[in-house]
Amino acid sequence: MKKVILVADDSPSIRKFVSFALTMKGFEIISCADGMEALEKLPTEKINLVITDLNMPNLDGFELIKAIRSNDEMKEIPIIILSSLAGSEEIQRGIEFGANSYLIKPFDPKRVVYEVSKYLN
Amino acid sequence: MKQLKNMTDLFDRLNDLKIAFSYGEKYIPIIQSIIDFMKETVPLLENINSSISDTTNKIPKAKDQINNVSNATELATTEILDIVDSISLEIEKVENDAKAILTKEEEKRKIWVQIKEILKKNPESENLVQKYEEYHSVQPEIQKILEVFNKTRNDVNNIALSLQVQDITSQQLAAVNHLIESVREKLTSLILHLNESEGKEVDLVKISAPAGAAFDPDAEYTKSKEKQDVADVLVNNNYTKTSQDEIDKLFS
Repeated sequence: MKKVILVADDSPSIRKFVSFALTMKGFEIISCADGMEALEKLPTEKINLVITDLNMPNLDGFELIKAIRSNDEMKEIPIIILSSLAGSEEIQRGIEFGANSYLIKPFDPKRVVYEVSKYLN
Repeated sequence: MKQLKNMTDLFDRLNDLKIAFSYGEKYIPIIQSIIDFMKETVPLLENINSSISDTTNKIPKAKDQINNVSNATELATTEILDIVDSISLEIEKVENDAKAILTKEEEKRKIWVQIKEILKKNPESENLVQKYEEYHSVQPEIQKILEVFNKTRNDVNNIALSLQVQDITSQQLAAVNHLIESVREKLTSLILHLNESEGKEVDLVKISAPAGAAFDPDAEYTKSKEKQDVADVLVNNNYTKTSQDEIDKLFS
C-alpha cells in the first residue's frame, strides 16, 4: 500500500515539484493550497506525512503544525517544513512547534526524498 | 499741568505711530513678496496634487501587471514541470526495459555456457561458436544506454531544481507589490489631506487585497547549501538548546 504524503504550499509549481520528486519514488501525494485546506483534508485521508510551507494564506504553516500537534489522532504524523524562510529564529520556531525536519527552498529533490524516506521507510 | 501731560502722551503715541509706519515701510515689500510667492505656489501645489493623484491611480495597473507576470510564469513553470514529469516517467520505463533485457541476457549467457560445452564435441561448430559470441553479447551497449539514462535523469532533476526560481521570484514580486501598495496608501492619505483642506471630494481607485498575500520578501534563489546547513544543525539539536556559537559559525 502506497504511503500518502500531504503537501501544503500556496505555490502550484512547488506542489508540482514535490509531487514530481516523490511520486517517482512510489509515494501518493495529496496537494493543498494553504493550511486551512490541509487541515480540512487531514482527518478525511490516511496521511502518513505532512510537508508544509510556512508563508501561506488563510492558515500559515506554523498554525497548521500547531493544529496537528494538538490533535490526538494526528499528533504523531511526521512534519517536514519546506520554506524560503531561512532565519534561525523561524527554523527554531518551526522545531518548537513540532516539525521533524526543516528544508529550505530552493531544495534538492533528492534531499526531500531522503527526509521522507527517513520517516516512512 | 494736565494739558502738558496730555501733549507729552500725544507725542509719545505719534512717535509710536511713526515707528510703526517706519516698520511698515520696511516690511510691506517682504509681505508683498510672500503674497506673490504664495500666488505662484498655489497653482504649483495644485499641479503636484494632480500629479500625485494621477500616479496613485496608475499604481493599481502596475500592481496588476506584476501579478500578471507572476501568474504567467507560474503557469509556464507548471507546464514545464508537467513535461519534465512526463520525460522522467518515460526515462524510467525505458530504463526498466533495458534492465530487464540485461537480466534476460545474463540468463541467456548461462544457457550459452551449457550449449558451448555440448558443441565442443563437434569440431565443425568452433567457427560458428566464435562468430555467434562476437554478435551475441549486447551487455556493454545496454550498460552504455543505462549510463545515458542516468545522466538524463540527473539533468531532468536539475531542470526541475532550477524551475524553483519561479517560486522565489513570485515571492519577491509579491513583496514589490506590497511595497507599491504601501506607497499608494501614503499617497492616498496625502491627497485626502490636501483635498480636505480644499473641501474637495476624492475619487480614488480601490484595490482589493491580492489573493494569497503570503510571501517572503527575503526569498532568495541560491544553490548554496549554507542555509540548509544551519537548518540541519538546528534540527539535529532538536529539543535541546542550540549553541549560538554553532549558528554564528555557520552564518559567518
